[in-house]
Amino acid sequence: MTDSDQGSERVDVDRQTEQGPTGRELTGAQRKAERRAGIALAVAIVAGLGLFVVYFAGGQTQVEGVLFAVAFGGFGIALGIWANHLLDAREVVEERHELTSGAAGRQALGDALAAEVGPVIGRRSLLVKLLAGAGGALGLALLLPVLSLGPAPGDTLKVTPWRRGSRVVDEEGELVSLNQVPEDGFLTVFPEGHEGAADAQTLLIHVRPGSLKLPPERMAGVPEGTHVAYSKICTHAGCPVGLYRAESQSLICPCHQSQFDVSDGAKPFFGPAARPLPQLPLGVDEENVLVAQGDFPEPVGPAFWDMNRGR
Amino acid sequence: MSMVTERSLKYLDERLGTSSLARKTLRKVFPDHWSFLLGEIALFSLVVLIFTGVFLTFFYTPSVQEVTYDGPYTPLQGAHVTAAFDSVMRISFEVRAGLLMRQTHHWAALVFVASIVIHLCRIFFTGAFRRPREVNWLVGVLLLFLALGEGFTGYSLPDDLLSGIGLRIFYAVTLAIPIVGTWVTYLLFGGEFPAPDIISRLFVFHVMLLPALLLGLVGVHLAILVLQKHTQFPAHGKTERNVVGKRLWPEQTFKSVSLLLFTTAVLALLGGLAQINPVWQYGPFEPFDVTSPAQPDWYIGFLDGALRLGPPWDLTLFGFTISEVFWPAVLFPGIAFGILTLWPWIERRFTRDRAEHHLLDRPRDTPVRTGIGAAGLMVFFIMFLEGGNDIFGVLLNVSVETITRILQWGLLIAPIVTFLVTYWICKGLSRTRLRPAQINAGVRLSRTPDGGYETVSLEPAEAEEELEPAER
Repeated sequence: MTDSDQGSERVDVDRQTEQGPTGRELTGAQRKAERRAGIALAVAIVAGLGLFVVYFAGGQTQVEGVLFAVAFGGFGIALGIWANHLLDAREVVEERHELTSGAAGRQALGDALAAEVGPVIGRRSLLVKLLAGAGGALGLALLLPVLSLGPAPGDTLKVTPWRRGSRVVDEEGELVSLNQVPEDGFLTVFPEGHEGAADAQTLLIHVRPGSLKLPPERMAGVPEGTHVAYSKICTHAGCPVGLYRAESQSLICPCHQSQFDVSDGAKPFFGPAARPLPQLPLGVDEENVLVAQGDFPEPVGPAFWDMNRGR
Repeated sequence: MSMVTERSLKYLDERLGTSSLARKTLRKVFPDHWSFLLGEIALFSLVVLIFTGVFLTFFYTPSVQEVTYDGPYTPLQGAHVTAAFDSVMRISFEVRAGLLMRQTHHWAALVFVASIVIHLCRIFFTGAFRRPREVNWLVGVLLLFLALGEGFTGYSLPDDLLSGIGLRIFYAVTLAIPIVGTWVTYLLFGGEFPAPDIISRLFVFHVMLLPALLLGLVGVHLAILVLQKHTQFPAHGKTERNVVGKRLWPEQTFKSVSLLLFTTAVLALLGGLAQINPVWQYGPFEPFDVTSPAQPDWYIGFLDGALRLGPPWDLTLFGFTISEVFWPAVLFPGIAFGILTLWPWIERRFTRDRAEHHLLDRPRDTPVRTGIGAAGLMVFFIMFLEGGNDIFGVLLNVSVETITRILQWGLLIAPIVTFLVTYWICKGLSRTRLRPAQINAGVRLSRTPDGGYETVSLEPAEAEEELEPAER
């Protein structure tokens, strides 16, 4: 405190008087500047009052924005003119003070610590150790409530509501039957009772006959060889894969442009995604309604540390 | 002095001892350079953010409870939306001046982060982070992180479709953290996406935790600045041992208040005229819907671009999985922001410069630092461009695949080219010995008989002579 006090005391008075105008009389330029600042402030007053009118007349976003800008801006311009033209702009030189307390100051603190802290703590080493132990245990215990913030992940990321026999519905909960989706069309579907569930969202795509290149065990989950279903959650960063190009039979994620080949097991062929979209095995019940043959064979969505363990 | 003033000054001084402190404060010297105002713009944007933000808090509902929208915006009437989205619609369409406040708040957030970044560039390229200001560099970088956190949490609060997708991606990024990712994600989000707690948690972060930290650190940032005094560019009469400039009262006060008013004016103009984040066009969040094209706020753009550029490489080690998201969205920002945070110490390892510095470097005189800084900015710029690859694709009529391939190669090559070109330009400029910023610059350094050094300021004419290149 005293250090910096001295710093500002040592202001070089000569340089203050040396630079900038000192006269009391207004020059022509200053008179002009004064006039301009006055006009700016008058405009600010008008805009400020205008805001009252607009507000009580019901408010209008654009006019309010402009009037606020004019009011603040006029005020700002006036102060800017004042700062640049109407002040005795004096350049001041201030000496810097030493930041450090110096070797002597540090020595004094060290001595003080040795004299005042040492005896308090040093003589009771057992108590100090217990103190540290108690502090550590308490500190860790205080962290425990953090665990209340979320449930244990468990297997929740590895399963979805799809079960063997789940009937396929659209987002409104209407049952989806075979051939309801036209050829080259697609529909976002859910297991019955879980409409809108984020991890269950699935794309049902009606592909052209004979266009799928899947191994027989996976074709068994594709009714009529044309109704294939893949998880709608991008395996990259989890966006809904919302774009389907029917002519190339590719799915595109609009977030990061990963592209998946529907005919080849939804394997990614461009973009940052590394894993195919998991396929949902489908079947048909007696009423021609599409049903799931089970859950997805792999975890859906973005990768996580233990996704391939202990499912 | 009037009687009232005298008595109140006496009252305060006798109880708080304020007089000498106030006098000293009024006389504080501020060096005059436009680039020193960049940090002030950040501070003043923060002022606007606080005022508009408090207003918005009175109307916003941090809840995902489902309600039916029945406000004046006809296309969404009857839609099932969350209470959060509904309250943002109310602010936008029914609260008088609400839309102005909301849009000004959003614009102020963009300007806040932008001015912090430009301020940081000024500090970096002029070497203002060198001893004794390393600590304040650290505080400043933390402030940048907090500002990014504030931006992201605030942007997600309306619970609209666009921000919901942003949250979904952020969820994938935290899942990609090795070993602890799943747990971190569940503690942060309160369960599997979209956990119902997330909006109220974001709200607590946005209006309580992060602002408290932010304001506390702004206080520390400014306190250290006052304690250490300002840096200044080398010029006639400016040395390592003094500060040359204008006093807080009246010159700097007038300038700063003027800048505060101007910043506010520009933000109000943007908030009134330039539509931003029209959530009614995106619609409410549904986990199975998506908008296209989808761009986040500009300061998150690099991360979105990094995710688009990233290689499709996932790894399985001993049965454990490392996501392809890990490389661009966890490892890259970790390294880049790590280097940024530790830069004063990294640079010192190489320069071995442990001296105190109060005079700034000109970027051209430190070509390696300037080159590294330019290359770093280029990395972020390419990622930022890639974040808009779908928009450029439409504008330029080029496929996004092509743009992505070009930028992937660009990311490998451009930073190196940028470093070399910057280095070469700096060397060239340095050789011209031109000092456009200060014509009358110059000191003569001479050895004193007892082995010390003394600097003698040169008069402008003398300086010109001294600096005249011999080649001429």
